[in-house]
Amino acid sequence: MVDRLALRRAGRAVAPYLLMAPALVLVAVFLYGVVGGVLQGFGIMPFLGRTDVTFEYWQQVLTRPDLAQSVSFSFYLALASSLWALAGGIVLSAALCAVRQTRLVALVDVQIPLMCAHILVVLFMVSLFSGSGLVPRVLHCLGLVAAPSDFPSIVGDASGWGVLAVYAWKEVPFVAFCTVALMSHVSDRFGEAAATLGASPLRTFFTVTLPLCKGALMKAFLVVFAFAFGAYEVPFLLGPTLPKALPVLAYIEFQNPDIANRSVAMALNGVMALVTTVAAIAYFVVLKREGKGR
Amino acid sequence: MKNDTTEAVLLEQNRIMTRRRFVGLSGASLAVLMFGGTLAGCAGGDEAPAEGESKQDAPAESASTDTTAADSAAADVDFADWDAVLEAAKGQTVTWYGWGGDEARNNWINTVLAPALKEKYDVTLELVGMDINDVLTQLSGEMQAGVEKGSIDFIWINGENFYSCKENGYLWGPFTDYLPNFNDYIDPESPEVLYDFGSPTEGYECPYGKAQLQMWYDSKAISDPPTTVDAFKAFCEQHKGQVTYPEPGDFVGTAFISCLIAGVIGKEEFEKLSSMSEPTEESVLEIVQPGLDYLRELNPYLWKEGTTFPADSPTVATMYADGELVLNMGYGAPQELVETGQLPESTRSFIFDSGTVGNSNFMAIAANAPHKAAALVAINEVVSPEMQLSIYEDLSGISVLDMTKLPEEDQQAFADVPLGETQIPLDELLAHRVSEASGPVIPILEKLWLEQVAQA
Amino acid sequence: MSGQEPEVEAARAASAGTEGPAGGGRPRRCRRRKRNGAAWALVALQALCVVGPVAIIVLWAFTSAWPWPLLFPETFTTRGVEELFGPSQRLGEVLATSVGIALACALLTVVVATMAAAALSRYRFCGRDVARFAVLVPFLIPATVFAMGVQVAFLRAGLSGTVVGVVVCHAIVALPYAALIMVDAMQAAGSRLEDQARLCGAGPVRVWATVTAPTLAPALLSAASMSYILSFSQYFLTLLVGAGKVKTLALVMFPYLSSGDRTIASAYGIVFLAATLAVFLLFEVLLRRQVSREIDYFNG
Repeated sequence: MVDRLALRRAGRAVAPYLLMAPALVLVAVFLYGVVGGVLQGFGIMPFLGRTDVTFEYWQQVLTRPDLAQSVSFSFYLALASSLWALAGGIVLSAALCAVRQTRLVALVDVQIPLMCAHILVVLFMVSLFSGSGLVPRVLHCLGLVAAPSDFPSIVGDASGWGVLAVYAWKEVPFVAFCTVALMSHVSDRFGEAAATLGASPLRTFFTVTLPLCKGALMKAFLVVFAFAFGAYEVPFLLGPTLPKALPVLAYIEFQNPDIANRSVAMALNGVMALVTTVAAIAYFVVLKREGKGR
Repeated sequence: MKNDTTEAVLLEQNRIMTRRRFVGLSGASLAVLMFGGTLAGCAGGDEAPAEGESKQDAPAESASTDTTAADSAAADVDFADWDAVLEAAKGQTVTWYGWGGDEARNNWINTVLAPALKEKYDVTLELVGMDINDVLTQLSGEMQAGVEKGSIDFIWINGENFYSCKENGYLWGPFTDYLPNFNDYIDPESPEVLYDFGSPTEGYECPYGKAQLQMWYDSKAISDPPTTVDAFKAFCEQHKGQVTYPEPGDFVGTAFISCLIAGVIGKEEFEKLSSMSEPTEESVLEIVQPGLDYLRELNPYLWKEGTTFPADSPTVATMYADGELVLNMGYGAPQELVETGQLPESTRSFIFDSGTVGNSNFMAIAANAPHKAAALVAINEVVSPEMQLSIYEDLSGISVLDMTKLPEEDQQAFADVPLGETQIPLDELLAHRVSEASGPVIPILEKLWLEQVAQA
Repeated sequence: MSGQEPEVEAARAASAGTEGPAGGGRPRRCRRRKRNGAAWALVALQALCVVGPVAIIVLWAFTSAWPWPLLFPETFTTRGVEELFGPSQRLGEVLATSVGIALACALLTVVVATMAAAALSRYRFCGRDVARFAVLVPFLIPATVFAMGVQVAFLRAGLSGTVVGVVVCHAIVALPYAALIMVDAMQAAGSRLEDQARLCGAGPVRVWATVTAPTLAPALLSAASMSYILSFSQYFLTLLVGAGKVKTLALVMFPYLSSGDRTIASAYGIVFLAATLAVFLLFEVLLRRQVSREIDYFNG
């Protein structure tokens, strides 16, 4: 009897580790890959016969004249697109809750954008908003635009609005996807209570529903931020020649025919990983504090 | 040992982060925990490959099971004996890695070359479409892991990458001497065969095709295309905001600014760049400065006033096709695009009187190619007069063969191929051909452009 | 600015008047109608933002040229379709590989993520915070960093160029997404129902099958579809780990997407979307059969 109880207790102690094990194995594989990449940033490339640690590449990267500009441009892109995604996502998810989303609505509004690869979305946006895209053509018909060069083409615009448009199209539904299930339950359960107590719907939304969804929203925000900060495809195709987003710099170095330049690329990637990690830690701190406050 | 360095590195990062105070106390402890986790991860991760090492031969073994007999024969094939090569290649499946975004070329490989190889030599050709940089990543990864029988047999390679591949021992060779068609029909002394982007090929590459930059325009919209750099500048002024070029870094963009620079400083001066093996920023600048000045002067008349440039040539091509630009440029004539209706019938091409840059593209065999015999057979077939003629007919690709070495009837066959409306006669192209800058010069040129033209 | 701007504007207008969760009792119904009008407008606007571009792509797949200033293309072609179904493309084979890999990845990811989520939400254990952070780490680091290192590891382990290797790699990318969804869902669901079932004498397997799984079904479906999408559209990783031998649709499609040949790129884009949609509908049907009643896990 006692033995059984002890066994059970032991089982309970071991259980979480066993449950975590497969996930941790996957993460370990991931980290193994990352360490390989990070080491390249320190000049360790066994396949080229280089095994000595050097800070040369980091130094080269950190002293680049265009680094500060690139970091701030990337930061701007990531922050703008994640804030945009957050705002749009909240609205979309509230709307979806309100209409009691049917399968079809969810499919069209949320899942199709999730499915489209970013590069496909670039194709969408270019065909709409390039100088000769459909939107300027419509404006041309209305007599507002004379020639393609009169329209602020999405391609290579210095404000990066093409990049933001693509991310908005992709990530607003992503944020909605992350929150809609939770929001609909929260608004059903607590919203009714608040409304019964006489709170206006708007007030209920901002004082009850939104705070309860905060955790999920913050997570979605972080995911979008980290992604927008680190992905090269969209800013490469739609971003301006100067300044270049940080991941684009890394991508160009990565593409350099001299394989040794991958060390520079990896050092740049290291800078990106550092920024996103700091952002993530900040997020966890906020989360912790909130956990205590509750 | 690897772990120690990582630890140092991670601890270092860790310290920086705590100092940031961004995080506060709890954040710091979390960070420590996280990097502890990272370390644990590394330790865990390191074990996996260590275990795997004993199995290192496993992939090679499994790869060879499909062609056991042929493969074991290939191991000790005397490649100099062509019959033995043919014998060894029989039944093998050979993989060809190269850029996969050209529908016409993919179709040609799959519907003309592959069936011919199968029928004549019982060799199955598998085309794998990949960007050359990804091929390199793949290859260097295999090298790093010490895979003796890799996944890549031969590669459609470009000159910039060839140098670094050969330097690092990723290529197998020299092999061109083994190829009957190379020996019979290709001029081994031609500089376009001896050098690829300024680096000596030394038999590690077999030419595949020649290409030369050409500018495309719609003859309905433009009556006389600008054939000198001065005329080009006037042309840009006249079509303000409707001309641009891909950002150098894209190979078409680099080639186009090379043409303009060559037009400004002269062909001979420019070709100094193609033999530079250890260029410095200063030595390149000394030659190209007037060209860069010219490019900077063009900026105000270009698309978006030259404040920004499209990132790659496909973007420029779509802008041209949609009518946002009046000029496009590419390696070759747009015959195929006109025939498929993507560009109007009135499309024509032109080159500068001062010449346009041209290059040869090549095929190379991976050092760890599992089917070297079949790769040799396939490469040999690509440079056969029959296939080169087919490339010329179907893809308007310039042949790498030395016409004077061909039998009369083959020469006639080449001459008989009707020239498309968009195409420029071969002899005219070859008479206005400028050699491309050498591999090491290219990144410097791109950097100079970025600093002096884009930032201006 | 972007396609989303009007939506936000409209939302602001909507929320100023009527936005908010359900009201109570009778007034709720009439308020709901009004509010639903605005909400429906928003949802419809978003649908337009989504369907519009997709429609353009469908048009492009059959168009050879569409120059300025035409609002509607005038020259059509079957080149895209021919390319898709050309004998050398082996579309069926490629699709089968893609769907198979993505399904396997979805299954693997969901199982792993659910186990991890169970540990994270149901147990207090030493190192929980580390574990919680660890599963989210793949979000933070650009995929290129991980891809090259992992390629070498897989080559050594003999997993390179195999379907298994590709599935595992995709699962790594999908894990944090699935884990996020599952942790949230499990925390929201709480363990009360399960505890009750257990008190009534049900074994752990039975509790899982009869209580936990149905409660979590919507979340499981979300996690599975997210993993499926991530796997299905993965290019760089598939390229490196699959060594070009494992041919997925993304692998065939991406070179065209970046080549500027919009006819073929669009044709592939449609197949890509259609294939994903088909599998999703399958998921839906299966789910509906499994869970016919909706379960309010908040009230459990």
